[in-house]
Amino acid sequence: MNPRRLVLIAAPYAWLLALFMVPFLIVLKISLSDTAVAIPPYAPTFDLSAGWAGIREFFGGLDFENFIWLTEDDLYWKSYLSSMKIAAVATFLTLLAGYPVAYAMSRAKPEWRPTLMMLIILPFWSSALIRVYAWIGILQSEGYLNQLLLWSGVIDTPLSILNTQVAVYIGIVYTYLPFMILPIYASLEKMDESLLEAAEDLGCTRITAFWRVTFPLSKPGIIAGCFLVFIPSLGEFVIPSILGGSQTLMIGKVLWEEFFSNRDWPVASAVAVVLLLILVIPIVLFQRNEERNA
Amino acid sequence: MKKAMLPLAAVLLGGTAAMATEGTVHVYNWSDYIDESLLAKFEEETGLELVYDVFDSNELLETKLLAGGSGYDVVVPTGTFLERQIQAGVFRELDFGQLPNSENLWDVVKERTEKYDPGNAYSVNYMWGTTGLGVNMAKVQEVLGEDAPIDSLDLVFKPEKMEKLASCGVHFLDAPTEIIPAALRYLGEDPDSHDPDVIGKTEDLLMSVRPYVTKFHSSEYINALANGEICVAFGWSGDILQARDRAAEADNGVEITYNAPKEGALMWFDQMAIPADAPNPEGALAFLNFIMDPQNMAAASNYVYYANGNKASQEFLNEDVIGDPAIYPSEETLENLYTVTAYEPKVQRVVTRLWTKVKSGT
Amino acid sequence: MESKPAPAPFAPWEDAAAHPLIRFEGVTKRFGDFTAVSDLNLKIYPREFFALLGPSGCGKTTLMRMLAGFETPTEGTIWLDGQNIAPVPPNKRPVNMMFQSYALFPHLSVWDNIAFGLRRAGKDKETVRARVEEMLRLTRLDQFARRKPHQISGGQRQRVALARSLALGPKLLLLDEPLGALDKKLRQDTQFELMDIQEKTGTTFVIVTHDQEEAMTVASRVAVMDAGRLCQVDTPQHIYETPNSRYVADFIGEVSIIEGRVAALGEEAEIAYAEGARPIVTRTGGAALEPGQSVFYAIRPEKIWVGAAPHPDRINSVEGTIVDIGYLGDVSTYHVRLDTGQMVKALMTNAERYAASRFTWNDRVWLSWSRHAGVVLAS
Repeated sequence: MNPRRLVLIAAPYAWLLALFMVPFLIVLKISLSDTAVAIPPYAPTFDLSAGWAGIREFFGGLDFENFIWLTEDDLYWKSYLSSMKIAAVATFLTLLAGYPVAYAMSRAKPEWRPTLMMLIILPFWSSALIRVYAWIGILQSEGYLNQLLLWSGVIDTPLSILNTQVAVYIGIVYTYLPFMILPIYASLEKMDESLLEAAEDLGCTRITAFWRVTFPLSKPGIIAGCFLVFIPSLGEFVIPSILGGSQTLMIGKVLWEEFFSNRDWPVASAVAVVLLLILVIPIVLFQRNEERNA
Repeated sequence: MKKAMLPLAAVLLGGTAAMATEGTVHVYNWSDYIDESLLAKFEEETGLELVYDVFDSNELLETKLLAGGSGYDVVVPTGTFLERQIQAGVFRELDFGQLPNSENLWDVVKERTEKYDPGNAYSVNYMWGTTGLGVNMAKVQEVLGEDAPIDSLDLVFKPEKMEKLASCGVHFLDAPTEIIPAALRYLGEDPDSHDPDVIGKTEDLLMSVRPYVTKFHSSEYINALANGEICVAFGWSGDILQARDRAAEADNGVEITYNAPKEGALMWFDQMAIPADAPNPEGALAFLNFIMDPQNMAAASNYVYYANGNKASQEFLNEDVIGDPAIYPSEETLENLYTVTAYEPKVQRVVTRLWTKVKSGT
Repeated sequence: MESKPAPAPFAPWEDAAAHPLIRFEGVTKRFGDFTAVSDLNLKIYPREFFALLGPSGCGKTTLMRMLAGFETPTEGTIWLDGQNIAPVPPNKRPVNMMFQSYALFPHLSVWDNIAFGLRRAGKDKETVRARVEEMLRLTRLDQFARRKPHQISGGQRQRVALARSLALGPKLLLLDEPLGALDKKLRQDTQFELMDIQEKTGTTFVIVTHDQEEAMTVASRVAVMDAGRLCQVDTPQHIYETPNSRYVADFIGEVSIIEGRVAALGEEAEIAYAEGARPIVTRTGGAALEPGQSVFYAIRPEKIWVGAAPHPDRINSVEGTIVDIGYLGDVSTYHVRLDTGQMVKALMTNAERYAASRFTWNDRVWLSWSRHAGVVLAS
């Protein structure tokens, strides 16, 4: 293998090593440690100056205590389950909201498509945090949505949406909608229009043609979009913190509390490691789906 | 213990500690917690450059300090946090030889902060306050009658009262270290108990009133109280006074009063300290000394409506600060205030878990 | 020599009593300001293999899409088997289409592609299976049934598209440039296969193509279209030998066109085309001509004999200079400039291996042709 090829192949692996494996190993290491009143607040720490004995002591100090702890309190598995449920429901809602948009974009005149694409991407130019904050102004009881609904006479008393699960779903759907739209659009856009005519020619109505042809052909896009929404939603912390109520149980919040309130970096790390393991499953499935469609 | 707005905002947007350069002092204080003209004055008087960053949660500050190398010269944690941070070796001892203005400090406060910082070796007090009840008088009396116990924990810990108050809205601080001591006090236990079994006794009490709490949040109650959206807030004194002023400014007919509960109220202290790895400890001492100047300290208190730990500053305080028993309580009330200390990790875990259960029901 | 009598020629268009399968009656189609099809009248008969031929934009595709139901006429009526099909949506028409892109469903196997229409029609499993297998046999695709469209070759895909569109047994099959995506060799083989299948199934085929050779090969009749109008509708032979306009003559095959006027008119006509040159003597072929009228004389290159001297048996002979030679192996095309200035193309079969070397650039040659060789066109 010539050296240039070697560099080309090594580069992504080096990237992966530096930006994923090393941080992961650090987190894994912390998850096997114990809390301590010190800087940093866990022990043991790696001390090469003590030589072999130090290294032996270091590894001797690691154990799975924190992972066992995660099984002892039902808070953790309930949070994981609740997160998965919220992520799954939010992903489905995002699909419902995103598919028609992607479909309309792919059916728009070609000269309009770059503009529409731009409009989808445009919100990314502002901070996601600010956009989620903006929803407070819309959803709060004296917010724009309630004002509009009261004014139009749809409701008599303001709806309390903010600080509920509904607000969390709205936030997730809103934030991740482009991640759903873009892959679906990509799969619909390259679809040959004559396929629909062929389906009609062979006896389909417009609607059956959609379900028999358009929908199956956009499946890779749907799958990609669902993963792109589900994976970040699962560990989502910002949206439930800003828009959700205290009853919204998500693992991101549990992790935050372990880290900040309990100052228990090891348990927080253990929560993160388990979350990663849970995510590895859909990520691997996603990867296989991508390969199959490559 | 200023309002903990939204801690995550600080996580995501939080200032990165700058590298110190010669003649620069990096101060990390709570947001909206100083008269900003003091910052220019400090630079003018000392010739040092001041970099002033703000945070809005103790947890965030603590995480930076525990990770090490924060780059700050002066930080302002709350007493309970300070205590465990001292144990972790985060701070350096103060050289009082370089702090001539420390003679202005108030004994009443020093006595109490000694609990967190034995001998007051590591910190000096900046501001302090109490945790108590903010009440929309008209609404509460409408629901509970003329004799509503607005100065008693009965208001928020008696389910039959809370059930009625739920109709007009009640906010609790989302801070277990504030609410649980109050619940312990209400149950006749030591509010500073670190015994998990004793702490556990508050669970039934808190669960019994939980269904009537509109929200657990540590900052939203200021606005909610001011615009009449809620009628009771279990919160920090300064924030409730701020709500009072906002309502008065808006002239919306909402009248807010603050009361430290007669059963006793938690008294908290925000302490200025110097991290052990501060790049410019000399500059930090200069800043501390500057703040302890009676006139400077008074300017800060006049601006933020919190009491300070500086006896000499009191003659410079405005009447609406020094004369307000909600800010400077009477001698008698002061005797009734209690303080709490930091929980050990194991106990902290019990407290957090209990709080999660109270909030989420899980 | 002939042991059996030749079958009666298939020519229902000559039979006044024959019922057309399709009848266009004053059909016009406009897209905004653009008129794609203009006041068109046409009859297509059952079992015909009918070709719509023309350059892109001539309206042939629009015509086909109106038959399929993807477009509706702006004016006029299209009758299919005596029924006005304007209100019938594409999925209800007894018409199927084979798309230029084939439009095979990429997510379905060959088998499922062919079964698609049958399933939509609600046929039971056994019928579907039997019909799909029949189609697979017909198009020789048996061993590819389980493959996906991207796993087979272009020619195989073309056959899947054909099988799929035939599976429902349509009264009319529309083929939009069916061989356009194939390379030349495969295209020629496939042309015959198409004819074979058309004959076996007895389905009426309407093919759209811009390839005149393809149209000539496969079709029983060809309609040459230009700018939304039909120029000529006739058998390939008639179109070729007796085009009715310069446009058709030029579009189909190679032709040299000489502009002139009618100098003398009898059973034969004399076309004067240049000062001092002998007029071209030709049969008129029944065209209504008047003396003095400006006309075009069209002659195909293979009808012209090239020699060092005038051909003794040919009535027309002119002298010129070779300016270009196209050597195609089997034949050579000579581009000859007449002394009067006109350019004329002549074709010679390279019957002997060295025959081509007989004439070369700048040689003086004689071009000779008979009175039957060309046609006189009024427009």
